[in-house]
Amino acid sequence: MHSSQSRSSGLPASPMLFQFEEVTKSYGAVVALDNLSVAVPSGAVGLLGPNGSGKTTMIRALLGLTRVDRGSGQVLGMDFRSRQLDIRRLVGFVPEDECLFPRVVGVEFVAYAGELVGMSSKDSLQRAHEVLDYVGLGEARYRKVESYSSGMKQRLKLASAIIHDPELLILDEPTNGMDPAGREDILELARDLARNKGMSLLFSSHLLPDVEAVCDQVVVLGGGKLLTAGNIQHLKHLHNRCFEVRLKADAAPFAERLSALGCTAEIRDDSLLVQIPEGRSQQLLWEVAAEQRLQIRNLRPQRSTLEEVFLKALEQA
Amino acid sequence: MPIFDQGYQHWTGHLSGHAWRWLAITRHGVRVGMQGRVFRTVLLASLLPAAALAFALCLWGLVERNSDFVAPIVQFLISSRLLNPAVVADPRHYRVEIWTLCYNLFLSSELTLSMILIVLVGPDLISQDLRFNALPLYLSRPLRRIDYLVGKLGVIAAFLGLVTIVPCLLAYALGLLFSLDLTILRDTYRLLLASIAYGLVIIFSAGTLILALSSLSRNSRYVALFWLGIWIVSGIVATVLQSVDQVQRRQASFNRAMASPSASPTPQTLPERRRPRRGGTVTHRWSSEDFEAEEIEAAKTNWRPLVSYTANLSRVGRQLLGTDACWRTLSELEPAYGRKRYLHQYTGPQYPWYWSAGVLAGIFGLSACILSFSVRSLDRLR
Repeated sequence: MHSSQSRSSGLPASPMLFQFEEVTKSYGAVVALDNLSVAVPSGAVGLLGPNGSGKTTMIRALLGLTRVDRGSGQVLGMDFRSRQLDIRRLVGFVPEDECLFPRVVGVEFVAYAGELVGMSSKDSLQRAHEVLDYVGLGEARYRKVESYSSGMKQRLKLASAIIHDPELLILDEPTNGMDPAGREDILELARDLARNKGMSLLFSSHLLPDVEAVCDQVVVLGGGKLLTAGNIQHLKHLHNRCFEVRLKADAAPFAERLSALGCTAEIRDDSLLVQIPEGRSQQLLWEVAAEQRLQIRNLRPQRSTLEEVFLKALEQA
Repeated sequence: MPIFDQGYQHWTGHLSGHAWRWLAITRHGVRVGMQGRVFRTVLLASLLPAAALAFALCLWGLVERNSDFVAPIVQFLISSRLLNPAVVADPRHYRVEIWTLCYNLFLSSELTLSMILIVLVGPDLISQDLRFNALPLYLSRPLRRIDYLVGKLGVIAAFLGLVTIVPCLLAYALGLLFSLDLTILRDTYRLLLASIAYGLVIIFSAGTLILALSSLSRNSRYVALFWLGIWIVSGIVATVLQSVDQVQRRQASFNRAMASPSASPTPQTLPERRRPRRGGTVTHRWSSEDFEAEEIEAAKTNWRPLVSYTANLSRVGRQLLGTDACWRTLSELEPAYGRKRYLHQYTGPQYPWYWSAGVLAGIFGLSACILSFSVRSLDRLR
């Protein structure tokens, strides 16, 4: 995504989007981040974790809104403890809560957000029109923001976060409380920004399908600690001996025969989940199907869902 | 939804540094403030005293040049006893006094109008941000808390500066132009600096106070009511306290006069009251001249005006401008027997000015603490 220079900072591109080294942050007796070390590469990154896992504290630390007790780290190649303002120039943030600059129309809202980052009035106004068109609020740009619907407000916040073309966009629960159409709009925009516009994303959500729809990488936190992190496709690893089989006919006799041969066969909605014993290959499935004169319509190795990855990480913690 | 009609273009413009980031907040606040029709009307009305100040200074410039053009006006002022003929006879000698009193009158009226402007534009500044949860939007951008607060204070400073400091500068330039005398710079530059300093005192004191009040509630109406309470109620309380004190002193003075037979009346004695004593016909004299002398003496330690917020501002302003000294100079032109009355009538509270400065400093400190606490506690993402 970044070649040799980062897009707007002109700084040498960091291979890592951000990295924490033994970061600890406590609020009284509650440890929000517990000796957290993580390095996240550029791209679309999902931030997962149950309530109280430290996601929000992590975002606060990234933006320099909270001082960590211990540890160090970098965001876009800059020390997050000493260069908060420089970091925030390169980061766009969409908060979870409904938050507005009151008594302005849409285009003024976004232009004001640009001015706060340091854009000139003229640039920010011109750019505000562009990004409002992009997020689909072109028709509503002269309406008071207080009259916007929840979905529109969310897109407005997104527009105000990307007005200065940030290198990293942080979305905190962006689809919370939205109707399916509005949710799909936000996901579509986030996907487009990450995949087609070269913007890195930190997508904090507890809706796993949303994270899966947008992100390539995932960081799972629990109790302030890193539970797992990595490429989603890699985490959803293949199960070597477990297959998902779809048959044209009834699966029950097929399952019985496989069980007799030492396999574990479980009938699901419209498929069969088969675990083959040690020393046998998937050829066994073809042989049994031929023996019973059944037609296999679909055969593929089983892959963990993100939900399974998430739950497994929590269990291990 | 046609979200990709326009497409997304990367932006390669330049971002300014951090130093002037607060100015964006000020600009925005001024824009929003100017949207109110009532506010615009009051702002316009607040410029009328400025026009009067400019007119007065220009008029005095012409008086100094013995212009026939202003002779009827001067005659009218003398006949109305608004101007002493001795002052007109040597206008340059009394230049500083006249200019000072004009500035004092202007800034006194602007002090009241500033309070009205603040009640119209100030309560929304932080309370609306709290109500609409806008602080995360500010603080997640390259802004420090101090930038946010300075930006909000800048909104107050812009409006109050427009009706206090800017008119002082413009009127000064006009007065200079109409007098065509460069010695005016030598005589009055201190007054210009003092008026700017007084304007800054009003801006910083009232600005931080209204911001602190605004940060205490999400409802602007409560903030406005609180401000009115500080401005009007504190003024009323101070006036009542002073009146009660004055009545008590008058009564004590009268009782003293009743208790001891007075000496023979002095030529300065003006009104006198005779009250027959029960069972006797001894005449006691109670001179209002003596009472006024007591009043002037008592004013030096009368702390009651300190209760009023605007009285404190006014006391500091009079000290900065040197208003009382000017009144004392002009009182020399009055007959000897009327000087004390003259001074009593025109000079304000005479307690040490640093008492008021201390009160204002305390309010400023308290406001700063409230702001620090309120905005810090919201320096978070919920």
